[in-house]
Amino acid sequence: MSTLSEPSTELILAAVREAVVTVVPEVAPELVAPGRTLTELGCNSIDRAEIVTIAMERLRITVPIGDFAEVGDIASLVDVLHRHHP
Amino acid sequence: MAYGIDALNIYAGVAHITVADLFAGRELDPSRLANLAMREKSVGLPVEDSVTNAVNAARPILEALSPADRESIELLVTATESGVDLSKTVASYVHRYLELPRNCRVFETKQACYAATGAVQLATGYLASQASPGAKALVIATDVALVDERAQYAEPATGHGAVAILLGEDPDILAVDHGAFGCYSHEVLDSARPTPTFDIADVDTSLFTYLDGLAASYDDYCDRVAEVDFTTTFGHLAFHTPFAGLVRAAHRKLMRERTRTPADKIDADFDDRVAPSLIYPASTGNLCSGSVYLALASLLDHVDISAPTRVGLYSYGSGCSAEFFSGLVTPRSVRRMAEFEVGRRLRERTRLDYDEYLQLLSSARTVLEPRADHIVDVEPYRHLFTHRRSPFLAYTGSRHHHRQYRWY
Repeated sequence: MSTLSEPSTELILAAVREAVVTVVPEVAPELVAPGRTLTELGCNSIDRAEIVTIAMERLRITVPIGDFAEVGDIASLVDVLHRHHP
Repeated sequence: MAYGIDALNIYAGVAHITVADLFAGRELDPSRLANLAMREKSVGLPVEDSVTNAVNAARPILEALSPADRESIELLVTATESGVDLSKTVASYVHRYLELPRNCRVFETKQACYAATGAVQLATGYLASQASPGAKALVIATDVALVDERAQYAEPATGHGAVAILLGEDPDILAVDHGAFGCYSHEVLDSARPTPTFDIADVDTSLFTYLDGLAASYDDYCDRVAEVDFTTTFGHLAFHTPFAGLVRAAHRKLMRERTRTPADKIDADFDDRVAPSLIYPASTGNLCSGSVYLALASLLDHVDISAPTRVGLYSYGSGCSAEFFSGLVTPRSVRRMAEFEVGRRLRERTRLDYDEYLQLLSSARTVLEPRADHIVDVEPYRHLFTHRRSPFLAYTGSRHHHRQYRWY
């Protein structure tokens, strides 16, 4: 299981959690955790795209789309967003 | 003086398969049907290519013009990702079979599903420049589908056909808002057609770039145009429609992020401003760069326009280039659109069962493959198009790489 090493990643995870709950309100926020995947939480391909764009908007960052190629679970999504967060 | 779309016609093939039949045949997960929000997919014949689709879409527009108006078409642009040669354009064949004037600029644009909008914007700007007063331009978005079972859920969403767009001054269909546009482009490989026989696509990347491009191009539009409010500036919306379900997500995204609309009001706004634009796209599949104009045609054929109304349009092409722009429609737009009877012609397509679809697909998928000398036997398909009320141009093969066509 992946781990989150820096405190500021909590802020990123909170943005992802907020984006997930916005797009898929039936998901309990506590289930949006580093070891899970968005697919496991019931997100389809459109949901996943919406979640990523909403998280970027809320964090006010732009991430090159190619960087998401390495994303597998929520921890790796948070890692990619964190790299571009000031 | 206003400039923009004076006539708009759709050709979406003569055959279709229901998306439910295709899902069953391919054993796709039926729970994903709702997400796709598609009903039917237009299916191409082995005698149809990007040239025949373009000509079959544009001919009804030209037949309705006076000889003087036909002579005023000084620009022909085909927008396609289904080119038939790396040098010779689809437009050159289209120019011949539409018998357009010889003092006409003829060329082709390519930028996946955005190409037609690039051509429409440049042509409208050219007409507005008054470099040639009274001139008209014909832009035709035309494509064929190459997808098979390898495309999985993209197969039911991929259509076949063309959209012909006649541009001129004092236009009947859509007066393009001069200077009101927003663009967003960057390099990405979300989908592509590396050879004439197959497509590649990264679904997650493509959905992301479509949604991201919408927000970014809309923001650029807002930077150029004063006092834009997504909920009140546009009476209706027509978006590029890779599949109808994605447009619902796109609308929801802008409503959430650019307006203060309560969540429970977003669906009602979608039903009012967007859903009428999806009726035709949901029964043809994605027509590539013609898709946003198919959505506009659907809108005009399914809403009551009693006063000038601003329509917001979103065009997106993989690779990628995105543009949000707008224009005015009026009651005259609805009357002019109705003349082309798009709904009737979609209903007249022959419904294929899954086995018939598979038989057509194996030949139709190779229609862009370059062959020096080749004969296409038209007879097995004649029953599918000879009952049409208007003439039908068919692809009959090639001689020394010169593609051959014949009217029926």
